[in-house]
Amino acid sequence: MEWANQLCENRQFGSKMTDSKYFTTTKKGEIFELKAELNSDKKEKKKEAVKKVIASMTVGKDVSALFPDVVNCMQTDNLELKKLVYLYLMNYAKSQPDMAIMAVNTFVKDCEDPNPLIRALAVRTMGCIRVDKITEYLCEPLRKCLKDEDPYVRKTAAVCVAKLHDINAQLVEDQGFLDTLKDLISDSNPMVVANAVAALSEIAESHPNSNLLDLNPQSINKLLTALNECTEWGQIFILDCLANYTPRDDRESQSICERVTPRLSHANSAVVLSAVKVLMKFMEMLPKDLDYYGTLLKKLAPPLVTLLSAEPELQYVALRNINLIVQKRPEILKHEMKVFFVKYNDPIYVKLEKLDIMIRLASQANIAQVLAELKEYATEVDVDFVRKAVRAIGRCAIKVEQSAERCVSTLLDLIQTKVNYVVQEAIVVIKDIFRKYPNKYESVIATLCENLDSLDEPEARAAMIWIVGEYAERIDNADELLESFLEGFHDESTQVQLQLLTAIVKLFLKKPTETQELVQQVLSLATQDSDNPDLRDRGYIYWRLLSTDPVAAKEVVLAEKPLISEETDLIEPTLLEELICHIGTLASVYHKPPSAFVEGSRGVMHKRLPARTGSGEGTECPDVGNAAGGSAPEAAPSIIPSQGDLLGDLLNLDLAPPTTTGPTPSTSGMQMGGMDLLGGGLDSLLGGDIGGSPAMGAGFGAAPTVMPASLNAPVGGGLGDLFDLGGGVGMPMGAYIPPKTVWLPAMKAKGLEISGTFARRAGVIQMELVLTNKAMSVMTDFAIQFNRNSFGLAPAGPLQVLTPLGPNQTIEVSLPLSTVGPVMKMDPLNNLQVAVKNNIDVFYFSCQYPISMLFVEDGKMERQVFLATWKDIPNDNESQFQIQDCHLNSEAASNKLQGSNIFTIAKRTVEGQDMLYMSIKLSNGIWVLAELKVQAGNPNYTISLKCRAPEVSQCVFQCYEAVLKN
Amino acid sequence: MISQVFILSSKGDHLIYKDFRGEAGKDAVNKFYEMVTALTGGQPPVVMKHKELHFVHIRQGGLYWVATTKADASPFTIIEFLNRLTALVKDYCGCLSEKSVQMNFALIYELLDEVVDFGYIQTTSTDILKNFIQTEAVSSKPFSLFDLSNVGLFGADTQQNKVAPSAAATRPIVSSQGEQGGKNEIFVDVIERMSVVIGANGVLMKADIEGEIRVKCYMPSCSEMRIGLNEEFSIGKSQLSGYGAAVRVDECSFHQAVRLDEFDTYRILKVCPSQGEQTVMQYQLCDDLPTAPPFRLFPSIERDSGGRLLMYLKLRCDLPPKSLSQELSSPDQSAELQPKNKAVHWEIPRFPGGAQLSALFKLEVSGLSAASLQEVGPVSLNFELPKYTSTGLQIRFLRLSPIQPGPSQRWVRYVTHSDSYTIRI
Repeated sequence: MEWANQLCENRQFGSKMTDSKYFTTTKKGEIFELKAELNSDKKEKKKEAVKKVIASMTVGKDVSALFPDVVNCMQTDNLELKKLVYLYLMNYAKSQPDMAIMAVNTFVKDCEDPNPLIRALAVRTMGCIRVDKITEYLCEPLRKCLKDEDPYVRKTAAVCVAKLHDINAQLVEDQGFLDTLKDLISDSNPMVVANAVAALSEIAESHPNSNLLDLNPQSINKLLTALNECTEWGQIFILDCLANYTPRDDRESQSICERVTPRLSHANSAVVLSAVKVLMKFMEMLPKDLDYYGTLLKKLAPPLVTLLSAEPELQYVALRNINLIVQKRPEILKHEMKVFFVKYNDPIYVKLEKLDIMIRLASQANIAQVLAELKEYATEVDVDFVRKAVRAIGRCAIKVEQSAERCVSTLLDLIQTKVNYVVQEAIVVIKDIFRKYPNKYESVIATLCENLDSLDEPEARAAMIWIVGEYAERIDNADELLESFLEGFHDESTQVQLQLLTAIVKLFLKKPTETQELVQQVLSLATQDSDNPDLRDRGYIYWRLLSTDPVAAKEVVLAEKPLISEETDLIEPTLLEELICHIGTLASVYHKPPSAFVEGSRGVMHKRLPARTGSGEGTECPDVGNAAGGSAPEAAPSIIPSQGDLLGDLLNLDLAPPTTTGPTPSTSGMQMGGMDLLGGGLDSLLGGDIGGSPAMGAGFGAAPTVMPASLNAPVGGGLGDLFDLGGGVGMPMGAYIPPKTVWLPAMKAKGLEISGTFARRAGVIQMELVLTNKAMSVMTDFAIQFNRNSFGLAPAGPLQVLTPLGPNQTIEVSLPLSTVGPVMKMDPLNNLQVAVKNNIDVFYFSCQYPISMLFVEDGKMERQVFLATWKDIPNDNESQFQIQDCHLNSEAASNKLQGSNIFTIAKRTVEGQDMLYMSIKLSNGIWVLAELKVQAGNPNYTISLKCRAPEVSQCVFQCYEAVLKN
Repeated sequence: MISQVFILSSKGDHLIYKDFRGEAGKDAVNKFYEMVTALTGGQPPVVMKHKELHFVHIRQGGLYWVATTKADASPFTIIEFLNRLTALVKDYCGCLSEKSVQMNFALIYELLDEVVDFGYIQTTSTDILKNFIQTEAVSSKPFSLFDLSNVGLFGADTQQNKVAPSAAATRPIVSSQGEQGGKNEIFVDVIERMSVVIGANGVLMKADIEGEIRVKCYMPSCSEMRIGLNEEFSIGKSQLSGYGAAVRVDECSFHQAVRLDEFDTYRILKVCPSQGEQTVMQYQLCDDLPTAPPFRLFPSIERDSGGRLLMYLKLRCDLPPKSLSQELSSPDQSAELQPKNKAVHWEIPRFPGGAQLSALFKLEVSGLSAASLQEVGPVSLNFELPKYTSTGLQIRFLRLSPIQPGPSQRWVRYVTHSDSYTIRI
């Protein structure tokens, strides 16, 4: 009271003395003064003195000399004073261990105090005094407090076990405190449970192999019950603990998810994020076709969106987490694009994170909206943000192909503003767009060249130089442009120097006559006048290449560049998995695994997402399941060797006519070229498919020998997209010939474009090819070879391209095929892998032929034989299909089919429905029997196919459809 | 797990320092201050790292509130905790300032001791803590209704503090002396934050509202309070009810102490407000505002013959005439050019509903080209609309039970802030 009165008085006088009186500077003799006050008889005075001591302690003054005097104040029944003294003790006991012992008796006595507050205070403080000698005295009081009748004391004691463990782990184990702690998990008070869980979790981390937190369905159930009752902070401990549990099967996983989801609407974002972590992890185990899975996905979006309305600090942390979640499961937030739009008053670090997420969520559906936003951002004030926005436009172009054109025109608009940094940034991203869509947007080069002078940043200069070098043949004054850069060669940064060197060499290879001098100049600058080893080495390599073998130089310098990948800066999948397990923690903010920044044993254990296991299986061998699930995302990289196998297969083919004129490209060059195509093209096609089908991934891991066969599925699937199978004119009668489609686009074959189709004319199968030279140089020495395929198709003669194919010239070639080549089953069955060679390189593509080509002319079966065969083939081999929207009557249909060697043997009419019975014989002797139901007025036909080799049915059905509809 | 907690003044003075786990040294405090003051604009200040130690901090009341950790702790937990800590300190000491923290250091140490044990957060509820805390708060200044200098409508750091209706909310909540202010008061605030983007063509591109209902309670014994919302209040998109002026929100979350048994039928929230401040309900509404956005802009941007940039801005307030304050005789508008932000700042002290204001700005811009006109914009508005909720949410009644002995006062306040109100040109 006295103290309060004093304050009041001071306030009345309007003095400022009160406010900081504890913090005023220590004058000489103050310690002495304090000592006297501490030993005063008056309680109030004592309290004042201790407060002053603590204030000095806070500002960093050494008041340890007062230790005995302060400890003397400990024995008091005034709780406020006692707390102050304990505060002091915690701070100085470590530096005065001997004197700290003086306090032990009081502690032990306080642990028996009738007031639970004092018991808890004593046990809490004792744990904080990190002096070895004290711990011995601590054991007995702690044991009692762990069983105290008051929950406040028990929860404090639970934490004290963790404190003691930190000081002396062995002691804790010897004294059996761990078991008592485990018992507390079943305590009736949720606060005690929460603290026990927290303490055990921490102790368990330093014993990775112990089974301390023995999580089983029963204990999980207890935790889930406590979850509903405890404070928000307790809920976090429990949820974090749950996240470490691996449920036995999808059913258990679902039931835990169901009980955790209510936490998503908690007001405390830490609770929400811990719940998200649990759900993201357990979702991994749920089958995707489960209704609940979809429900859960929907439930996850609103809480994540809500986080974005918090303070900027939380928003930033939330965005870092959302960035991870979006990479793992983009479907959760795919409709929430708008919330990531930048607000003008967001701090810059929030803006940048939002931008990143916007790109990740960009898709064809929302790209227009996103681009409009990005364009706005690109005219804002903050330079960093503007740069990132411009870059984002480029990333959109690369990610969403349909938007590329719009992105490029947006970038051109921005270049028109002539704002220096916008222009530079735009040029850097346009370079990337060129890498992704070569030969598409070169028309903008002129605009870019106009801005050459304003480029002063190395990255932009390097990008511009790259563009000039790459498209030197289309820029009339490329040599002048590059020469202008060359003037200040030594002042450029290494990045620019390297680009300039390469660009000029490219230019030389493309326009050798007029640039001889320039290339000499740059080579000598790079090799003789530079002391940068990278630059010198590159210069020497070019020099030697150019002087010994210009063709090889061309091969190397102008080689096909692998396309850049769609998604840039994705987090590597294994790291992403681990980070998903650490949602809501520092790891998720740094985007680094905890082992990278947490010292000691804590956090070193790498967490992984659980694998999906069905309810029936998997309980006995969770490890195996884990491994399989874990390896699924890694399957993509592991394909590369198997790619090699396939490549080897194709390369081993004997390419018929040997080259006669010109320098022979070295074998290694050929292989490199082949690699390029497969690496760039097929790999990216494969990547997507494999990632989606863990079964495939597992298959690869287990049996590498079956690889080539099983690989074809995704290849075919991917390439299928390239073909435009619909439309086109067909033949009215006679054999059906599908329209020509592009098999090999020019950008994948150094300018050679191949399109074609298959036909059967007068009993001869023909491959009809159209070769177009879209490159700048003449192509000669064509040859073709097939990989082994399902029906033994092989060229019956050489590819007849007699004259050299000049630039922009097109030639049509018809290649007769035989069916006596080596056989290997393909998937799809009618897939054909082709290698075409010319003087430049070997190119590979695959295409699909209509199986009707293989239907032979003598495919009409005897009626009796048909009946017997139909009965003989087991019903399992029968497959039914629907042909929709076909407006022919049965007569016309039958005629049309006959043209493609599908013979009608009999016709029956039942209740206005025509039943046509047909037979087909394939070139390899396989018979296919068919029953076609045609109902007058109904455009939908039903067809049943029976065959001893049922795998052909699908292909045959496709032929029916193609023939009938054309 | 929190390793240390400390509070620093904006100048870097140590106000409070508490070590919970003895794993990091006290030099961390100075290291933190060095790092935080060396940050450049673009760097996220939220989480910082020095060797093995990670700093998480927030700034409130002009102070740095910092927690450190050595483990892979959750920054969400720590930020939420620091926010709660500031709220607690505010509850106990009345307001957040260097002065109040200095004066109440013993109290804050005691609080920290109860709130965190060995780095584990125990509780942050004022109600529970009341049982343990012994130290009396020292109020940093005597109460004066005339002193409005640091008064804000609580929970909302506004641009215009002057409209805040009451100074009462800066009094310490917990006081065992009881009669300090002597008033049994309860404040219920409905605060909405609006973010709107209006496209260059005048089309509303985005409109979001984040709202909350906050209760600040000074009553020592209030067993139950019933807050009645509009009866036609609906949640989610499906429940659109005919033509009625339904008050609708997309998402709604409640404080865990709120009982909702009468919510579905009568739209009544039942709370037992503990002393102190708490957010009872939060809600969001996206895109589908019941009324038109409050402000519209009709800009025209051109280049005059002298190569100057002309910006003619016409701003209209579409609120009903009486919804905003009083009549306006001559608005003391002001405008200034802020070269640092490349912005023109136009300040309008009061803007009645239905009115229209216009301004013409002429700017000398060197090297102005036709293309650089594209760079003008957007226009951002900061405003506060008192007595107005854009969702239409209203509080029908506040009932306390049991009836309070003696005079008790109940206050309901509404306010809408601009969170981010952008009009593109």
